[in-house]
Amino acid sequence: MSEMWINMGPQHPMTHGLWNLRVKIDGEVIVDADPEMGFLHRGIEKICEYRLYNEVVTLMDRCCYVAGMSWEHLYMMAAEQALGVEVPERAEYLRVMSAELQRLGSHLMWFAAFVQDLGLMTPFLYGMRDRDLVLDLFQAYTGARMTYEYMRVGGVRNDVPVGFTDRARRVMDWLDQKIGEYEDLCDKSDIFVARTQNIGVLSASDCVNLGVTGPMLRAAGLPRDLRRDRPYSVYPELDFLIPTHEGADVYGRYRVRMEEMRQSIRIVRQTLDYLDRHPGRVLAERVPRFVGAPAPVPGKETYVLRRGYPKGRGFAAIEEPHGEATAYVVNEGAENPYRVKFRSPVMVNISAAKSYLVGYRVSDIPAIMGSVDICVGESDR
Amino acid sequence: MRPKDVVPEMQRTFPDSVLEASDRQGILARVRIEPRAILPICRWLRDVAGFCHCSLVAGIDWVETREVLYHLWSDEMKVYLELFAILPSDDPHIDSVGEVWRGALWHERETWDLVGIRFDHHPDLRRLFMPEGYQYHPLLKSLELHEPEELEVKARHV
Amino acid sequence: MGLSERPLPATPASAASVVPPTSPPIPTWEIEAVRAKEFIPPVKESLRDLISRKAVDGVTRPVFNWAGRNSLFPLHWGLACCAIEFAAAFGARWDAERFGLVPRSSPRQCDLLIVNGTVTWKVAHKLIALYEQMPEPKWVIAMGNCATGGGPFRTAYSVVPGVDKLVPVDVYIAGCPPRPEAMLDGILRLERLIQERKE
Repeated sequence: MSEMWINMGPQHPMTHGLWNLRVKIDGEVIVDADPEMGFLHRGIEKICEYRLYNEVVTLMDRCCYVAGMSWEHLYMMAAEQALGVEVPERAEYLRVMSAELQRLGSHLMWFAAFVQDLGLMTPFLYGMRDRDLVLDLFQAYTGARMTYEYMRVGGVRNDVPVGFTDRARRVMDWLDQKIGEYEDLCDKSDIFVARTQNIGVLSASDCVNLGVTGPMLRAAGLPRDLRRDRPYSVYPELDFLIPTHEGADVYGRYRVRMEEMRQSIRIVRQTLDYLDRHPGRVLAERVPRFVGAPAPVPGKETYVLRRGYPKGRGFAAIEEPHGEATAYVVNEGAENPYRVKFRSPVMVNISAAKSYLVGYRVSDIPAIMGSVDICVGESDR
Repeated sequence: MRPKDVVPEMQRTFPDSVLEASDRQGILARVRIEPRAILPICRWLRDVAGFCHCSLVAGIDWVETREVLYHLWSDEMKVYLELFAILPSDDPHIDSVGEVWRGALWHERETWDLVGIRFDHHPDLRRLFMPEGYQYHPLLKSLELHEPEELEVKARHV
Repeated sequence: MGLSERPLPATPASAASVVPPTSPPIPTWEIEAVRAKEFIPPVKESLRDLISRKAVDGVTRPVFNWAGRNSLFPLHWGLACCAIEFAAAFGARWDAERFGLVPRSSPRQCDLLIVNGTVTWKVAHKLIALYEQMPEPKWVIAMGNCATGGGPFRTAYSVVPGVDKLVPVDVYIAGCPPRPEAMLDGILRLERLIQERKE
């Protein structure tokens, strides 16, 4: 009779964001779990219906704040399909470079927060330091560290400055040698290994039925990665591997993400080679005029309806650092999208909490939830 | 099953329920189905056609009707399939596909919360994002956003 | 003409709105303070008052203020994007701990609440509960545009347009998100405010 529900959150050092994990515990063992979301629900999908297509980009950065470029890329692909706009190739390479740099930034942030929850303080500082190097690169060509607003319908806002590719190559070389050091730091710690192996196991068939995607699925052995299975943008021309692990546990997810960082470095180097060799446009020449047009003047709104822009729907799916994210844009011929719907991988990964928490102890919760890589901004939208 | 066989097989197996299918760029097909037949069709899609992953359940508010949208992914064929059903706005309800794909349960909770579509036989249909007791469904077109005036907040000023 | 024959000052309309209806409209000590300020002629300062003014205002109050401002313990709490910059400020490049900031997990051990991110109505009463759990003296920093006035989500149906609708704010830091240097600048401004505390 010692079962009780306890709240872990919304203010909890483990949560990294505003969500509440309600667990039912019997002594120290977890018997049931019921995550509670919605504390950061900002109504992004509703606000998007009141913004122009290019203005939605500001909300995309803030939707998932650790993976802003990935979500901008996702929304832009869906909007361009809905509007019928082609993107020049240099812009595609810039987008992929941004997305892979963002994957590095997101995984480094995850690494810093994850090991801090397990008690390792030094890799937290290393992770934040290296993430600052990647954010310096972002600042060099977009001007901002986190909320870039870099992509536009039809391409990107501006090209990279002179000397950027050399600087980026130096950062990639530095990160390449450092990731091995961080893996060493964690693997050689007995406490880390004991706290992460065979903890939070979610088998591949469970993952698939529960809709779990991303590193959690690849750590269970299933090599599904949308960059390889349903290639978008310029990924068919790039050379990279998809890391998987057989353990389906917290340790496996950690190994998958560290290896993904190495593959991201590989992709970024290939995009930098392309950018050096092929100059070109970064924004499409023919973009529908209303995409960036000013808002209609009250009293003169009818001019929007008279133009009769073509309607359409756009769908895009990317492999975001947290998993599979999709966007669905419904364009009804107006200046604003009629409906924008995003599928957040983090929301689905958290919804499966009961399956990977039951049977473990309360002290395992920071390790397990840390391995899920939670970003509440995209989960709650 | 090969990708180009999926829609013809579906139309053959469920002749009354699969209403129209159109091609869409980037996905296999956009198939309209009868709301009553959602569960048998989804079971068939998972077991026979191999769509193992339910990626998305969404709701769109066309003011007189509401559209519920499903995106399914198949690992063997590596394609997305889009199913949709049109529900009347007075009482939009459809069977929950939670017993076919458990990953759809939270998406259905979100759709109920934001668009107001009820899912029958859902084990736990409560609001996901808005607090309990919120009376509206925010993503409906009848709820308009506006600049909030100076709010009268019943909080103590310390 | 004595004190009891003068009419009392009129009740300001705003006082009724901030006090719950079950309590009396104006506490009586407040009335006496108003009357005392207006009508008691200045008296010679007693020795006890002189010592209290010199010792408290001159010595102990500045020492307490110095100790308080150099050991602000913020609550380990992050709401949205600004929380990532808050975390970055505790990294190796912008070391916030050199100012004495140590994030604590329990609000009972904190004196600084940094609201970094969008506040929604669902989390509002939890934020007020956290604020009330903090012991006096306590300060609130509204970090970022969302905490200051709702930010890019001001028109949303579920967002509180500014955390100053819920708790009193001492310092507002603008930015979306503010850089870690801006956050440290806001904390230093708060430290200057604390140094000038008189009570």
